[in-house]
Amino acid sequence: MPYPQQLKDLMKQVAATRAQRVAQKQSGWHFPFLSLDQRKEMLNHHPDFREEGRREVRVGPSKGYRVAHEIVDLLEARSRVDPDRLDLARVALETDVLIIGGGGAGTSAALLAQEQGASVVVATKLRHGDANTMMAEGGIQAATKGEKDSPYFHYLDVMGGGHFTNEPELVHTLVTQAPSAIAWLEALGCNFTKSPAGRLATIHGGGTSRKRMHYAADITGAEIMRTIRDEARNRGRDITLLEFSPAVELVLDERGHCVGAVLYNLETEEYFLVRAKAVILATGVCGRLHIQGFMTTNHYGATADGVVLGYRAGVPICFLHTVQYHPTGIVFPEQAEGILITEKFRGSGANLCNVDGEQFVNEREPRDVEAAAIIRECSVKGKGVPTPSGKAGIWLDSPMIELLAGEGTVKREFPGKYILLKRFGIDISQEPMLIFPTLHYQNGGLEYTSECTTKVPGLYVAGEVGGGVHGANRLMGNSLLDIIVFGRIAGENAGAYAKQAARPGALTLDHVRRYHQELASAGVGAERIAPMLLPDYTPPDVRGRQLTAQYQGTLR
Amino acid sequence: MRIAYYPGCTLKLTAQNLEAAALASLRALGLVVEELPRWNCCGAVASLAEDDLLHQVAPVRDLVRAAERGADRLLTLCAPCYNTLARANRLMAEDEEKRKTINLFMEEEPDYAGQVKVVHLLDFLRDDLGFEALATKVVRPLTGLKVAPYYGCMLLRPKRVAIEEHPTLLHRLLAALGAETVDFPAMTDCCGAYQILGHEAMALDASAAILRSATRRGAQALVTSCPLCDYNLGARQPDLRDRHGDLPELPVYYFTQLLALALGCAPEALRLDLSPPGCRRLLAERGAIAAAT
Amino acid sequence: MSTNATVENLVPIFIMGKRYEVPETFTIMKAMEHTGYKFLRGCGCRGGVCGACSAVYRKAGDYHIRSGLACQTVVEPDMYLAQLPFYPALRQVYDYATTEAAAAAVFALYPELFRCVACNACTKICPMEVQVMDYVAALKRGDILQAAEQSFDCIQCGLCASRCMGELPQYHIAQVARRLAGGKLKPRAQHLADMLAAIQTGRFGDALADLRRADKDRLRTLYEQRELEPEMTGEEWRPQATVGL
Repeated sequence: MPYPQQLKDLMKQVAATRAQRVAQKQSGWHFPFLSLDQRKEMLNHHPDFREEGRREVRVGPSKGYRVAHEIVDLLEARSRVDPDRLDLARVALETDVLIIGGGGAGTSAALLAQEQGASVVVATKLRHGDANTMMAEGGIQAATKGEKDSPYFHYLDVMGGGHFTNEPELVHTLVTQAPSAIAWLEALGCNFTKSPAGRLATIHGGGTSRKRMHYAADITGAEIMRTIRDEARNRGRDITLLEFSPAVELVLDERGHCVGAVLYNLETEEYFLVRAKAVILATGVCGRLHIQGFMTTNHYGATADGVVLGYRAGVPICFLHTVQYHPTGIVFPEQAEGILITEKFRGSGANLCNVDGEQFVNEREPRDVEAAAIIRECSVKGKGVPTPSGKAGIWLDSPMIELLAGEGTVKREFPGKYILLKRFGIDISQEPMLIFPTLHYQNGGLEYTSECTTKVPGLYVAGEVGGGVHGANRLMGNSLLDIIVFGRIAGENAGAYAKQAARPGALTLDHVRRYHQELASAGVGAERIAPMLLPDYTPPDVRGRQLTAQYQGTLR
Repeated sequence: MRIAYYPGCTLKLTAQNLEAAALASLRALGLVVEELPRWNCCGAVASLAEDDLLHQVAPVRDLVRAAERGADRLLTLCAPCYNTLARANRLMAEDEEKRKTINLFMEEEPDYAGQVKVVHLLDFLRDDLGFEALATKVVRPLTGLKVAPYYGCMLLRPKRVAIEEHPTLLHRLLAALGAETVDFPAMTDCCGAYQILGHEAMALDASAAILRSATRRGAQALVTSCPLCDYNLGARQPDLRDRHGDLPELPVYYFTQLLALALGCAPEALRLDLSPPGCRRLLAERGAIAAAT
Repeated sequence: MSTNATVENLVPIFIMGKRYEVPETFTIMKAMEHTGYKFLRGCGCRGGVCGACSAVYRKAGDYHIRSGLACQTVVEPDMYLAQLPFYPALRQVYDYATTEAAAAAVFALYPELFRCVACNACTKICPMEVQVMDYVAALKRGDILQAAEQSFDCIQCGLCASRCMGELPQYHIAQVARRLAGGKLKPRAQHLADMLAAIQTGRFGDALADLRRADKDRLRTLYEQRELEPEMTGEEWRPQATVGL
């Protein structure tokens, strides 16, 4: 849908102040950043601080921790399989390392585990690469320009962005391994945007003190994902891919070491066992839970499965009370609702403007602050731009980029979004975009160490399913970095462990039985099963007519 | 007049010497040509079966590319590209029924009716410069070099796309460059072409006959405009001598290489690194180039 | 039937031949879910980059086969549609480390490149408006860099391969080209290699150790005192302080 007349009229307010804002930017002036105290104040408008949005989880290793209802609902739920009905003697597949999740972290882990000489099985819920990695647009941070930047500044930026709550050890690993992650990708043939002489292009992201965000046009994640996926496919002799086969339960041995998982063939609806000497959870994130009703940028399978699996097996959770809302998701046209507009637009100079065409926040605040400011502008201040469906949004003034960096820049630097909105009749090089915060990232997750180990021996964690490195808020460009750095570490360590130290015992699902007992004692969760696997967008009226009384299969 | 330049795939791969020398020569002559920004394979000999319209799609698409650039002529260096494009062009100009079918199939492209003229560099030099004028630009004449002008098939057959009815253009070019041309009976024979893949012995014999015919008339070198002829006659000479032990070595050049040399272009423009060693040796012996550049 | 005029914003579409009425502003994906379809295959990022949901369709009375991503394409009245979530195109295994970034290596992997007759069906079907035929043409003449650039927006949905009369797996060939371009033809970043060496020699060890020891208040102070690289400067900017460099 092109902008209706009503929005075209409102848009004139933005156009009216544009020349002045461009001139200010060219002169070096920027809208003042908030001080740390002002940030704290602003964050009161952030959804994380709505107490009615969460409750205590009453079972498991982090009992008593308050997180979003939607996550508690999954933690307080029974297994999809009855432990008594599954024949643990029937193992469908044996491998050294089982990796659950086929996104950026899982695939990096697969490559590194294979390089340790391990046989690898990657089990993924959808296709290999159907993951948020594929959707990450803006870039990947790393201090690669020694004349002005170093892991020292990267460390400070990460800690400040996370409000100084991050796990220092994890942050240290993240920032010191960052350059080698970029070099690894470059050597695998990833096409980062660079000068003819090979100098990598870098820009700012929200909360960065130095321009250290590397990118591949506006499809950085897709370029990274397709490169490492291609490499994994080349190593198919050692790396077996099981698509449409999510894990529904981890399997431990009698000593509590992780020795495999129960997988589920989504298409044939069969459950089957994979035995492994080490298991890596790399399942990603929770956007499709639509926490507090927010729209999301996440892919179809983002249902926090790994958190459920790891938690049941005994891994505590941390920082899960914070969820990242990306400041700029499309709010109009409605068909594209929730789709992320990369922060790189703001990094390239586009201002945020309210209904009167006024700036109200610097466009490069950390994401949580930026999102809170937009929510406040639309709610408390009533300066949002009304959409035809009754929502409110804020203008992201993309045409500024053309004025700052030259005609054609938007189309060249943001081909993905340019084409997408052109299909709806909106030319973002001429017209601003209408945006609102959208559920984007799970800051927290399972507790893990800088070696990617967990409290459960043999169980490793990599990527967004884990929590700690980003503290209470992740900076742009650190998620792609996270999955590559920790994916590689997990793969290397799990591969080495599987080849050397692992002494797997007999398979058991006793931890699931104990978890079920705990649920029963607490009197919760009897009516729910988890993991969710896929969200359900069937309209209620259709659902009401789906009257099948009894299913043979177990999916529904 | 606007001319678009169509190189063809082979000139970007194995026949870079054909192109490099041509472009250097054109620069030396002050003639500006612009490579089409978009082009695809000409379809090459796949399009020779004329009832197979699909194979005309590739060359016609290149002609459309030239038309949409506002060109009235399309310049080629490679004989098979010339032949393929020229034949497709004739088809579009003259066969209304097939033109309609092809235009309908390629509906995403503007309709095309053969309006762009396909020219070969030899045509171009004759018409736009003239060989007399060319002779005045020669700074390093090939005086005393006996060269066999080899036309082969693709510049002359079928007759309706022949660059001329009786082969003279290579003769006139070489004469303008100061070389001594050597007439030989096999100058329009087939080199064996793609039969080198399926019927190797037959093709080697055909090539050997051409080389023998030229050397018997005293040729010291042979020129061609076709990458396939260059391969069969030049690159395969060691194999030819395995079969025909008495066959002397005969350097085979692209006509553009001798053109560039005579015009005083830098020796690097000849890309002799892509030609058999004998090619460099002959020129070095004559003092036309340094022994090892 | 269609005579129900009480809901005016519904339009009829045909999903694999069966007629449904759906809101006119919906994408194909949302429309299918609205009718009760639940996706296993044919749905991925829901944001137009993963290539899982390619759909093919015709409009009423029009013989053209069109394509779009189900998550991005808005329904039209009387649209006849189906999804093509998987296509069995041949992908060749190759050893990246030893594969030379040269035309011959690509030709050896995918000799079917030369079955292209420039029919352009690939470009016409591409939902990302990639000039598929042009990058195939570039590869046929050995121009790996151009093929890499022209194929950059490819989401590997496989629609090109599904329409190719030469049976080329264009999107797999393009992937090889992009990796050869990115890792072997474009120059490596020297500043990156320099940084790796600096880290290896422990250049930032002390500065980082200092940060690790710092309490929250000191971290906050250091954070607030950071020198911020100005937005509109080029590569020439240098910080004044040398701590941490």
